[in-house]
Amino acid sequence: MACENEYSHLIHKYLDEEMTLLEKKKLENHLLHCADCSGHLRELRKTVAIVQSASHMEAPKDFTANVMKQLPKETRTNQWKTWTRRHPYLITAAVFFLVFIMSVSSIWTGGQKEIIVQGDGHFVVDEERGVVIIPEGEVISGDITVRNGDIEIAGEVNGSITVINGELIYSDLTNGENYLASTGHVAGEINEINQVFGWLWFHIKSFFSDVINVFN
Amino acid sequence: MDAVVKKIIIEVKKGDQQAFSELVEIYKDKVYQVAYRMLGNAHEAQDVAQEAFLRAYTNLETYDINRKFSTWLFRIATNLAIDRIRKKKPDFHLEDQVAGTEDLNYYSQIATDEALPEDQVVKFEMQEWVQNEIMMLPPKYRSAIILKYMEDLSLKEISEILNLPVATVKTRIHRGREALRKRLRDS
Repeated sequence: MACENEYSHLIHKYLDEEMTLLEKKKLENHLLHCADCSGHLRELRKTVAIVQSASHMEAPKDFTANVMKQLPKETRTNQWKTWTRRHPYLITAAVFFLVFIMSVSSIWTGGQKEIIVQGDGHFVVDEERGVVIIPEGEVISGDITVRNGDIEIAGEVNGSITVINGELIYSDLTNGENYLASTGHVAGEINEINQVFGWLWFHIKSFFSDVINVFN
Repeated sequence: MDAVVKKIIIEVKKGDQQAFSELVEIYKDKVYQVAYRMLGNAHEAQDVAQEAFLRAYTNLETYDINRKFSTWLFRIATNLAIDRIRKKKPDFHLEDQVAGTEDLNYYSQIATDEALPEDQVVKFEMQEWVQNEIMMLPPKYRSAIILKYMEDLSLKEISEILNLPVATVKTRIHRGREALRKRLRDS
């Protein structure tokens, strides 16, 4: 036992592999002859092995969730900042959409009562009936757009006609299957828009064709 | 691994709270194990381990990003566990003689506790033995042994976690090891 005390420190050093080669040799030599000390070393090794064999533990399943629940609440601005940083495209799209809706709605609601006509050429606006008349013999050189009114064509339109919140009306009933007066002529397309969604769709289409034109 | 942890910490510092859950996922088992081995029961272990993460979150500003995060986190966890042990520590020592008896110390009292049904359910007797024996160690040896042999940390890391010189850590490991050996031989 006296031996064990003397060598105890050395045995621990040996176990930690912190000995010089010479110290190691000396101790190993001693261990060969001393049953107490070699037993001591064996027991220590066994102890370490048992402790190391203790399986690794796992935290309970809801551990992370519990921790996250207890964290101090993020401030609103921080949450917003984090969210926007995580979804840059969504934010861009949302802002874009908002601007779009605002501009479209201002166009839609603006001047609800008045008849608005856009186009080059001579036409007559009949305020009482709410009709825009293109008289016979007159020519509208480009497109024509009529809002909040009907359109009656006796002359010619070289572009397209867009009627918003109104319709093409017949001036000559003999040409019943056609919207146009018998003498009228339209070179382009005819669009009638009476619903907000139709109106939106029209604007989306024209917006994108504008965009494409800009890039071209 | 360290680079990933660094990136997450930077995110959390910027204010991304959700990123912290990734840190918890990475270290929860290790922190829980330290807490459990130190305290010896699941309820307290979970309590202390969670508290360690909460403290880490609130004190993240004081963490030096150039040092190892696990060392810092383990330091918080072991300190909390040691505090917890101190609070519930009885003011007698296990080797003390039980009053009014000749040769009965508190170790023998503890041995009778092993008959509790809760303990009998345990399938792995050796596991249980290890935990029991570790619980017998004084906390200062206990922490050194756990960090060394259960978390496989280097002496340098342990010395940083426990805020002690490496030589002291060595001594504690030696003494802890010796105490465990004696108990193993006697059992």
